[in-house]
Amino acid sequence: MKLSFPSVVIALCLVAVPGGRAAEPAAFVGEVQPLLESYCYSCHGPALQLANLRLDDVPDDLVENRRAAEIWGNVLNKLRRGEMPPKGAPHPEAAERDQAIAVLRAAVERAAEQRRSTDGRTVLRRLNRTEYQRTMTDLLGYEMDYARDIPPDGMSRDGFHNNALSLRMTATQLEYYLEAARAAMERVIVTEPEPMEIFDRTFTATNLDQWLLREEQPAKNLISRTDAFLGHIDPCYPEEGRFVVTVTAGAELKPGKGPPIMQVSVGFRPDTEIMFRTAGTFELDSEEARTFTVTGYMENYPKPVRGQSKYPGLVVRVTNVYDDGTPKPKLQTREKENGKKESYYPEEPDYPKVRVDKVTFTGPIYDEYPPAHHKRILFESQLRESDETEYARQVLKRFMTRAWRRPPEDWAVESYVSFFRAQQEAFPVFEERIRETLAMVLISPEFLYLMEPDSQAKRPLDAWETASRLSYLLWSTMPDERLFALAESGELLEPDTLGAEVERMLGDERAWAFTDEFLGSWLYLDAMDRVAIHPEYYPGFNDNLKRQIREETRQFFMELLRHDLSAVNLIDSDFLMLNETMARHYGIEGVWGSAFRRVPLERTSPRGGLLTQASLLLGNSTGEDSHPIKRAVWVRKRLLDDPPPPPPANVPELDSESPEMAGLSVREQLRAHRKDAACASCHVDIDPWGVAFEHFDAIGQWRNEIRKLKPRPEPEAEGEGAEAKKKDKDKEPPPPEFDLLPVDTHETLPDGTEIAGVDDLRGYLLGKRRDDFARTIVTKLLAYSLGRSLELADEKEVDGLTARFVENDLKLRTLLEEVVKSDLFRTK
Amino acid sequence: MRTRRLDRRTVLRGAGVALALPFLDCMAEAKGTSAAPKRFCSFYFPYGVSLPDKDSEHAHWRWFPEGGERDFRFTKTLEVLEPLRNDILILEGLSHPQCRDMGAHDTADTFLTGSKLEGRFLRNTVSVDQVMAAAVGHHTRYPSLVLSTDGGVGEPSRASTLSFSENGHPIPALNSPRTVFNRLFGAGDGDLSRERRSLRSSASMLDRVVEHSKQVRRDLGAQDQAKLDEYLESVRQIEERVERSQAWLEIPRPELTDADREMLKLEADDQAPKDLMRTMYDLIYLAFRTDSTRVATYQIGSMGDFSSKAGKFPQLLGFAGTLHKLAHDWNKENGAEELGLWDRHMAGEFGAFLERLRSTPEGEGTLLDNTLAFYGSSNSQTHNNKNYPLILAGGRGMGLQPGRFLRFKEETPLSNLFVTALDRMEIPTQGFSDSSGEMSELYG
Repeated sequence: MKLSFPSVVIALCLVAVPGGRAAEPAAFVGEVQPLLESYCYSCHGPALQLANLRLDDVPDDLVENRRAAEIWGNVLNKLRRGEMPPKGAPHPEAAERDQAIAVLRAAVERAAEQRRSTDGRTVLRRLNRTEYQRTMTDLLGYEMDYARDIPPDGMSRDGFHNNALSLRMTATQLEYYLEAARAAMERVIVTEPEPMEIFDRTFTATNLDQWLLREEQPAKNLISRTDAFLGHIDPCYPEEGRFVVTVTAGAELKPGKGPPIMQVSVGFRPDTEIMFRTAGTFELDSEEARTFTVTGYMENYPKPVRGQSKYPGLVVRVTNVYDDGTPKPKLQTREKENGKKESYYPEEPDYPKVRVDKVTFTGPIYDEYPPAHHKRILFESQLRESDETEYARQVLKRFMTRAWRRPPEDWAVESYVSFFRAQQEAFPVFEERIRETLAMVLISPEFLYLMEPDSQAKRPLDAWETASRLSYLLWSTMPDERLFALAESGELLEPDTLGAEVERMLGDERAWAFTDEFLGSWLYLDAMDRVAIHPEYYPGFNDNLKRQIREETRQFFMELLRHDLSAVNLIDSDFLMLNETMARHYGIEGVWGSAFRRVPLERTSPRGGLLTQASLLLGNSTGEDSHPIKRAVWVRKRLLDDPPPPPPANVPELDSESPEMAGLSVREQLRAHRKDAACASCHVDIDPWGVAFEHFDAIGQWRNEIRKLKPRPEPEAEGEGAEAKKKDKDKEPPPPEFDLLPVDTHETLPDGTEIAGVDDLRGYLLGKRRDDFARTIVTKLLAYSLGRSLELADEKEVDGLTARFVENDLKLRTLLEEVVKSDLFRTK
Repeated sequence: MRTRRLDRRTVLRGAGVALALPFLDCMAEAKGTSAAPKRFCSFYFPYGVSLPDKDSEHAHWRWFPEGGERDFRFTKTLEVLEPLRNDILILEGLSHPQCRDMGAHDTADTFLTGSKLEGRFLRNTVSVDQVMAAAVGHHTRYPSLVLSTDGGVGEPSRASTLSFSENGHPIPALNSPRTVFNRLFGAGDGDLSRERRSLRSSASMLDRVVEHSKQVRRDLGAQDQAKLDEYLESVRQIEERVERSQAWLEIPRPELTDADREMLKLEADDQAPKDLMRTMYDLIYLAFRTDSTRVATYQIGSMGDFSSKAGKFPQLLGFAGTLHKLAHDWNKENGAEELGLWDRHMAGEFGAFLERLRSTPEGEGTLLDNTLAFYGSSNSQTHNNKNYPLILAGGRGMGLQPGRFLRFKEETPLSNLFVTALDRMEIPTQGFSDSSGEMSELYG
């Protein structure tokens, strides 16, 4: 074994922490010994050690003794897979075997948890990527992609991105923090006098030469989904500063379709999406022209490299992103009068259009100079002239208070002041010198980490620390002025104030971060991005739909939180949050426009709650069909905190291609698969959970039949898969044909509960498993709030919170308030 | 054009800096090919390859070739490497013995370290590329280039990087081609005096940050101190990097040709796997050609199962399933072929990279002759930690004899190959991880 010196030191430090972890419960070896003695020791015991393995003297310390942990882990695996005892040797009864498996599994899992233990304390943690981006934006009052080069963060076992143990610091990381800090300071603190040249352009028609357009895009003012209005500014355009684009536009509305959606973007290369960035999106619900305004900072928009680009100049683009759920028309070719071919998109007369009358671009614009974000740091003061050092001291103290989220101590301010003074020679200009000094604040540990200094013992958080924990919990960013004020006065430490703040903060726009971070991780919504949707199965599926699918779940959760509704709605609700796209996706009529709103559900609707939301159904699909196992594991892991054991090593996935499986639906394959006893032991408690969802396809739409793509007679594949297919692309492939298989959702859970579909599953979850569900929410929310995994020692607090949560009808915001007021949350 | 023959020392005296300089072709002429830089790069994919039985009907999708050392025949999988036959060594039978009883999906971390993950925190040890970077890194602007698809470090046993520092900490991988490009070739805003001033300021800033953080550290509890030590260690490392950068400042960043820039797709992300993979390979090629670094690693996919961005690559490229599914299904009806097609695609991409190195002359040989390109996985087939599928390409100018298929006994530690690689890089070594000696077979 190789252990380098520092790791030994760290290990010792951790072992030396008093307070102690819970003692290992009664040695598990005793419990499995009878079985081992009867069936294992004869080959792996004192007399004989086949495979060099002796089981009767393996220590039971699975926490510190890695080798012991591995041996017991292997014993568990062999037993589970039925590989040991070997064929021909005497075997234990199934019950005896299952009992031993349960004991070993518990011991292995407990040890794993203890190895990760932080003794029930939140460890110093750095801001993660999201928090860093948001904190920089709020601290400086200036939008920019600060986190662009920061490497992605690790994820904890619970799936959260705010766990101290998985948030490492590395030199590369810190190097990019410094780079981002300097780039930010250069923009926020200005030195030049007000730039005078203002660019002002007005377009009443697309002015780009045809060669810059996609050939097929005719220049016009009436814009369908395959068109664009382009305003080209060349060669002079501002490189920096705020710009304003105004668009005067009206709609051409169509019956049976929603209003067109106008998107305004700025960039430079009209033939790709990447070289543009969206500045604003508007729904146009009237024929009458109105004027819409968007603004942004040139620094944040893609610009051509001067003198080098094939696409010189800046382009303002207006497009129509309304999506009616039908596939986009395909590009056609036709012969022009001169005999040359041209390609074009067919007209869609019934498609709602954006009518662009006028577009103007103005920039750079300074509402005041120096800009507000500059003056926020370099406030106006006589001192600046009379005593530069004193002025710098005050500037630093103010900035450090906000950046460190608490007032800095004097010695710390002085050390920054002394750096500021030492840079006199290198940076004679005041602004440059202060930029450098502020950049240093932005790489200090007090900024990058949530600092909660402590001695060795647990202690209550002070008001400043509470403010930070609260704002990073609900907003993923630094506290605002009000929280700072409440911290300064100490009022924040009063439970009533805390409760009121939770309510206030959830009403703020920044609270969407809580939905994204907490809900996103808890439900693992990112699974959606790991699934590639098969275009032949779902030709209408596109990125817009995917975004709306995810948005629905965000909106739904936020609605529950803001109105303090019950978590029961997560399982079953009589309303959904829908917009036109999502309503159409679910086959619900009469919802127009892109805004999400409450839509009541018919009593007969199969929808309601999370279980039937497309985000989760899609994330737990194969991209072609449902994936009952993933869906089952999702329900048990995410909603009940009771994940089935991971499959033992070397188990193949379901063989859907084999002759005996080929004609079967996944559900029937599962049934066949369970005939194998080794598989059945686990799968009787997995499959039924997922089979209940079989009426929902890979993108979450209702189905009465399961479609299976008929294999096409493949032309003799010459190259590799992709290449070979590409060659055929020129030829129009024949339309896909599907075999149709019946849907069957009937299953029985191991406890005897019959499940005939999602409705029954809902009833079961809210009936028999209501407390488990409640406890799961409490556990997940606590782990996220604390930035650490929960441990045995936290059980009592979890019990208490769960009991009150259930008493309060599972009201979500109330729970959040309880968590925030809890001792766990308020203790370092 | 007339070239003046220079030796390194003249250049050094002229520049008045106490460090070695990027390798220039005119120096090679002066000294013969032995002066050419020696390079190492490694590429990794998860879950192993298709390995149907030799006598099964799918044997032609078995990754390893058939036949003898020199008269070997590629199967359908690696036949895409036929044009490179004389520049590669296919290695069968190797693995890291210490890692064999680890969890099968846990071994990606150990590919270049050879050591079993140990202790409460699954600590790793230094990876071979970083031993090299420490020894030859001072020759180049960057000691090493660490890339992956997922980026960052991942978590222990599911690392998203192949490289581990001297004390076993993961080194975060870069995963955005744009970021890598800017690092190597600059973002195009070079103002030398400003950069110089900023570096000097960085040095004194970091000094103070260390001083300040030590004060802060005193008030922390033990666990928090351990966490802050990570930060302090990082600051010290940047201090070293700043020193390097100061020394490199006077040397202009390499120029690229229009053709170089054309081939790079810097905006490619995980939705465009083909462009992304090619561009990453191309960036390594350019980094080598411009002698910006001599050591590079690229983890094409991690063992992060469903959470790895690379999982869906095969699907996006029209293959029969995700990486994990293809790997798991190798023993299914068409599984051997479906996985084999993917293996072949991957080998083809690696081959394209080798071609590019080979078509670039350097000294009396090619860039490939002075590069060791190590390609493979830490599983043979999914869940099996023995008999890794491995290719060692190039290295002819470094004394290797490619053009052979070598079979090793199971007890041979893969680390022996690393010992030989270190030796070929002219780095004195006492062995690496669990090595038992060098791998003389590679010399032929």
